[in-house]
Amino acid sequence: MSPTEQFANQCGVPLLRVSGLTKRFGGDLAIDGATFLALPCEILGIIGPNGAGKTTLMETVVGLLAANSGEVLWCGKSLPASRRRNALFYLPDGVRPYQDQVTAEVVAFFAGVYRRSAAEIDAILNSVGLKSVLHKRVHALSKGYNRRLLLALGLLAPHRLVLMDEPFDGFDLRQTRDIIGVLRHRAKGGRTFVLAIHQLADAERVCDRFVLLAGGQVRGSGTLDELRAETSLPEGSLEDIFLALT
Amino acid sequence: MRSPKPYPAEAAPLRPLLAKEIREIVGGRSLWTMLLLLCPLIGYGFFQAVSLYNESSSAALQSPVLASSLSPLDGILVPTLGSFYVAVTLLFPFVAIRVLGQEKESGALRLLVQLPYRSSTLVVMKLVAVVLAWLFASLPALSALVVWRILGGRLSPAETSNLLLGHLLYGALVGSLALFAASIAESAATAAIIALAVTIGSWVLDFTVAGHPGLLAWIAHLSLTQTLRPFEQGLLSGGLVLGIAGVIGGFVALASVWLPPGIPVYRKLRSSLLCILVIAAILGAATRVGWSVDVTEDRRNSFSAADQKLLATLRLPLLVSVHLVPEDPRYADLQRNVLAKLDRAMPNVSISLAGGRQGFSTGGGESYGEIEYVYGGQSDVSRSTSPREILPLIYALARVSPPAPMSGDGYPGYPLVASAEASLFWFFGGLPLLVALCWWWIRRPPALDNSLVDQGGLS
Repeated sequence: MSPTEQFANQCGVPLLRVSGLTKRFGGDLAIDGATFLALPCEILGIIGPNGAGKTTLMETVVGLLAANSGEVLWCGKSLPASRRRNALFYLPDGVRPYQDQVTAEVVAFFAGVYRRSAAEIDAILNSVGLKSVLHKRVHALSKGYNRRLLLALGLLAPHRLVLMDEPFDGFDLRQTRDIIGVLRHRAKGGRTFVLAIHQLADAERVCDRFVLLAGGQVRGSGTLDELRAETSLPEGSLEDIFLALT
Repeated sequence: MRSPKPYPAEAAPLRPLLAKEIREIVGGRSLWTMLLLLCPLIGYGFFQAVSLYNESSSAALQSPVLASSLSPLDGILVPTLGSFYVAVTLLFPFVAIRVLGQEKESGALRLLVQLPYRSSTLVVMKLVAVVLAWLFASLPALSALVVWRILGGRLSPAETSNLLLGHLLYGALVGSLALFAASIAESAATAAIIALAVTIGSWVLDFTVAGHPGLLAWIAHLSLTQTLRPFEQGLLSGGLVLGIAGVIGGFVALASVWLPPGIPVYRKLRSSLLCILVIAAILGAATRVGWSVDVTEDRRNSFSAADQKLLATLRLPLLVSVHLVPEDPRYADLQRNVLAKLDRAMPNVSISLAGGRQGFSTGGGESYGEIEYVYGGQSDVSRSTSPREILPLIYALARVSPPAPMSGDGYPGYPLVASAEASLFWFFGGLPLLVALCWWWIRRPPALDNSLVDQGGLS
């Protein structure tokens, strides 16, 4: 456990605590006793190469996949799978929701469900830059705009903790930087984000802390400095640390 | 720290969810394709029905006896809505599956199940949208009824509403089956195969095992196509309505069990077993509900009003032993003309098939064809299948005098000499064009508030 996590544990601060989570698909162990925590108002990156188990870990945490063992705690209290949607909101990767509907209708649906005001909707649409395609059907959106739509849906959800799978997939460098700014702004406003990212450079730019995942196991977690100390790589990049730990 | 329940399920409004489901079903091609196919299908069925009715009416205008056999229920309503039934059986599953199958295939279901709704609420809203789609799809059939009225034909409100209720229940049944199929299948194509296997399998059941005795007869009664028959015969049966509602509710419950991901299969199977037991209990209760109403103008499911009134006063048990095999046409006659009506008219009737197939084939030939009636310790035997002979026999057993016929009992019939050729322009031209225009209007880009679109994107 990293110093940050030890401190958080002692103070009872963690918003989300995942402990010993295991997920099997038949005989294959996809997640092997994953343990990590997310602190309030931070951006936590779950980092790992393709096939490391990032998506499985996130879907198991939010209850979309049934865990074989392990526990999820919310503010220190056990959060059963059936109630996780009340506390956590998850944006999956590769989803193009309601393709035959107009983008504005999809946004209006989520805004209506969560009773968002017109001002809130306007602010979110402005922040993710979705306004120019509101009249288009979802199937006609480019990959990048579809990603912005998903991001808007995630921001419309009022949950304090939002998990996003590959949130920068489909964005170019400038767009990624803009979206990082949006997430940072929202985190300052009290939200916590858990992002599954396989691009280490993106992760290093956006995340406050990291959970390094390989082969379904958590190989390390903490801030970049904590990980540097753990791996004795004082000048090491996230890539160097990841290679050292995996 | 804030509570981990920011939006409890009870707080979420239903309107956006229902609006989304309606947009989803109306925005797809399947409903519009079905509508376009329904226009000529129902139009041709209606045209044929009116043509045949016209021919029969020409002869009946000269003969009141022939006229009394002309009922718009049999001549127009049932054949016209029969085309609709075929379309609902074969095409409607594709429309209904879309409301769930599309979300499964696109991955949107993983977003939907995170919204603050119970899975049963999600399925019920989808079923409401499916029923609304059915109502929309029934417009060609309803327009045929309007054309019939314009031609001067008669529509009995009770008969028409009862038949439409039957079709509505059948549509909801097919819709709920399709939703359940979509909830257990990974893809819409697999769900369609499952749903069609059940609906078309019902037809096969009807064709192959109908009229057979024992277990096969029981299996034939499970056919979905059986659900419409009483409505087509002008009978509103409380037991049947309860049974269909129970099965619809059962499919909704099963779909709710299988919809949410993240629940182990053994728990879903356990919940499904519970649902199936409840459905079986409801069906069992439905078979015991004897309440039914004959809504036909010609009272085809009842004896004359005077006989009905008198039979209702015979409180002792009437035991009827039928010495016929079920596939004997005489048994079908007896069942339709006498037994079903007696069962509805008298408070306590027990009907049994005496002896088995083997008994009749190996020598019990003497008594074959006899029907024994026992009432109040008295018994009598008849071979007749006509109420004209059987009712006096029952009155004699009960020691009551046959009632005097009431005035106004006779059904005049409603012959109509008319041609529906002009209606073909509507069903093959006007209505499809209207459907296509509606489709275009719905698919057109919506007009958005300019203030929402004047800002640029990120790039």
